[in-house]
Amino acid sequence: MSRPAQDLQGAGAPTWWIVFTKELHELWIGGRALTLLLIYTLLLGIQTYVLASNSELSLIPPNEMVYETLKGAIAVGIFISLIIGADMVSGERERATLEGLLLTPTSRLQIVLGKFFAAATPWPAALAIAIPYMTVLAQGDAVLRPAILWGALIGTVLAPAFTALGMLVSYWCNTNKTSLFISLGVYILMLLPAQLPGRAQTGAAGSFLQKANPMASHAHYLSKVLVNNRTFEEFWGWLVAPALFAGVIFLLLVVYAGPGLRLEAGRAFAAQGRRVAALVAGLLALIAAPLAVLQAQTTPDGAPVVQAPALDVGIDLATRTLKTTDHVLFNTVVTNNSAEHTGPLILAMNIINLNAKGDVVDPEDWSPQRTQYIEAGLAAGESATLGWRVNAILDGNFMVYLVLIPSPNSPEATSHPVSSPGVHLTVTPFTRLNPGGVLPFAIGGPLLVLLGIWLVYRRRQRGIDTGGS
Amino acid sequence: MNTANERKASPAPQQVLLAEDLQKSYGARPALRGLSFSLHAGRILGFLGPNGAGKTTAIRILTTILEPDAGHFMVDGLSSDRPVELRRRIGVLPESLGFPKNMTGLEFVTYFGRLYGQPTALARAKAAAMIEAVGLQQRGRSLIGTYSRGMRQRLGIARALVNDPAVVFLDEPTLGLDPQGQQELLKLVRWIARERNAGVVLCSHQLADVESVCDDVVILNTGTVVAQGPVADVIGSADQQAVRVQVAPQSVAAAQQALQGLPGVTRVASAGGSSGWLRVELDAAVAGNGQPAHQHVLEGLMRASIPVLGFQTGGSRLQDVFLQITQGSIE
Repeated sequence: MSRPAQDLQGAGAPTWWIVFTKELHELWIGGRALTLLLIYTLLLGIQTYVLASNSELSLIPPNEMVYETLKGAIAVGIFISLIIGADMVSGERERATLEGLLLTPTSRLQIVLGKFFAAATPWPAALAIAIPYMTVLAQGDAVLRPAILWGALIGTVLAPAFTALGMLVSYWCNTNKTSLFISLGVYILMLLPAQLPGRAQTGAAGSFLQKANPMASHAHYLSKVLVNNRTFEEFWGWLVAPALFAGVIFLLLVVYAGPGLRLEAGRAFAAQGRRVAALVAGLLALIAAPLAVLQAQTTPDGAPVVQAPALDVGIDLATRTLKTTDHVLFNTVVTNNSAEHTGPLILAMNIINLNAKGDVVDPEDWSPQRTQYIEAGLAAGESATLGWRVNAILDGNFMVYLVLIPSPNSPEATSHPVSSPGVHLTVTPFTRLNPGGVLPFAIGGPLLVLLGIWLVYRRRQRGIDTGGS
Repeated sequence: MNTANERKASPAPQQVLLAEDLQKSYGARPALRGLSFSLHAGRILGFLGPNGAGKTTAIRILTTILEPDAGHFMVDGLSSDRPVELRRRIGVLPESLGFPKNMTGLEFVTYFGRLYGQPTALARAKAAAMIEAVGLQQRGRSLIGTYSRGMRQRLGIARALVNDPAVVFLDEPTLGLDPQGQQELLKLVRWIARERNAGVVLCSHQLADVESVCDDVVILNTGTVVAQGPVADVIGSADQQAVRVQVAPQSVAAAQQALQGLPGVTRVASAGGSSGWLRVELDAAVAGNGQPAHQHVLEGLMRASIPVLGFQTGGSRLQDVFLQITQGSIE
């Protein structure tokens, strides 16, 4: 029965792979991941059907529905990743299985990496499940492709980062209850800034909170890129926080927690030294970098000028016929025709129903960009181009126009707004998204996952004896 | 480093574990104050002590889970300075080892074999062999969640043996088992030592178990070694000054009173829970005055009209020695 010890050290697989496959088995065959994904699929199905069948919600343009679905998919995907990560170390401690693992001649870091890779696997599945839902909601809109691309990119950075965060918390806890409680607390804290009142979100502190918080900043970026057709170049700064957050958390997991994995929670303080310094530096960087980007993008330069002289607002669109739920994009060009520098300028959009008996238009519903600012003003002869989007919410005849307002420089001062030419929109009736067409996806998704669970369970039953003790 | 085959082939038992002056404190509280002992291949060492004596700390140090504050140990010629390599030479059944409920016994042992660097095919073959060796071959493909406590303990032993260890640490392996399960497990412990020629460190509060299977014993109290050596020697050291006597359970109090009144009796203590066994310690003068000690005690009981149900010369039980040495720290 005995064998030479050298044989036992033969060409076995790397430790991280062995731990990864075992954890994968526990997670997927054991049913935790599949159960969480089933709940996730149910939520997506319900959301999709509600979006399609609710008479008011279904007025939302396809790209906004796709954005909302993607945002939900990422949020729930992150949540699943977090709670699975939060069980990875403290759960082993609680179930008394960690000691057996630590008694093997394996690298602690590789054990942690194997667990991490396994815990990160639900995210790709969550994204794959979301794609059919987004497809049906996109109704052929070009938003689908960038949504999948950006969703995959951002989710694949953030979901594993939250897995790592959960594992770090778990590393410090002896019980699952504590680990899950703290992890959920952190998650809720990160969701809170989005619940602040509107003005609190747009002030300096509010903007910083939005930008420094990886949850809020990635959602803002996605909304700008997917809903408002803005570009990466304009809004890349909002991706700094998610990237930094992920980098710091991965670093902590690999450099700090991995090698220090031990039976009791945390690690010996004597061994911490440089790693604690790295932690503090990383956290400072996490806080400081988005602030620096924010400052760079929002600090006005140039002194304010009291009154703006001759200004002109041009629009590259005069008329457009479109159907409800479609959108129209156009640009305005603001030109300073004088020899003086203007002060800060404000450009506000207005939309008027040309039918006196028609519904009053609330521009907030029609455009994500009610107002845009040229805070630095314009130099003599200088022009600025601003992009606008208008969603056709109601059918009828509408006039869209913009008003350029030179910012008054004191409470006593006022200014003379300048109006642009109008854009005449003729909106034909809405072709409603067919709820019946969405239903197969809303019901089919959870059913498919259920089928998957059943197949996994059945296959597992074939591989084992099911007799009791 | 030696394999089991080489250890078996050695003419003289080879030292597989050597601990020298191991010390460990938790803050200001010392848990281990200079533990030194050795263990040879094929022998079973009982590691005893009341709760809080430092047993678990010692086992965790010797299995590289904890680092000692001072001292040094070697396993199969490997120094404690090389913990990763050392872990290849030990097998451990911790006191409260958890098991993944969704794996089968075979999968579980195979998994650990792979963690010891074995290629998958070899790990599977060894796991099957170990599962058979511990008597679980009928349930190897069942989920661990369906195993009884005894089966899990045996599975834990299979896991501990998967790397062909030179030293096996078993912490309370019989805890929670029924008498039959305990006997089967002790048989397995003997097999590990005698057939696999591994050194076994057996931690247990079941002193009768330790006495029946162990060759050597180390008794710890408050972090200090208070007795060590071959079991017979440790028991023998206390034998000369003690006898055991059994009376009816309802007569225990009266017997204690009668015996304590005898000249030369220094201590009378319960030695078997509710079974009515008493341990009677005598001073050296009585024990060594030429008159058999048992006669002295028996006469005392007869005078008090207390029927004697059983009698053993000498202390003769490890439990008595343990209680004497640790001053009744445990029952």
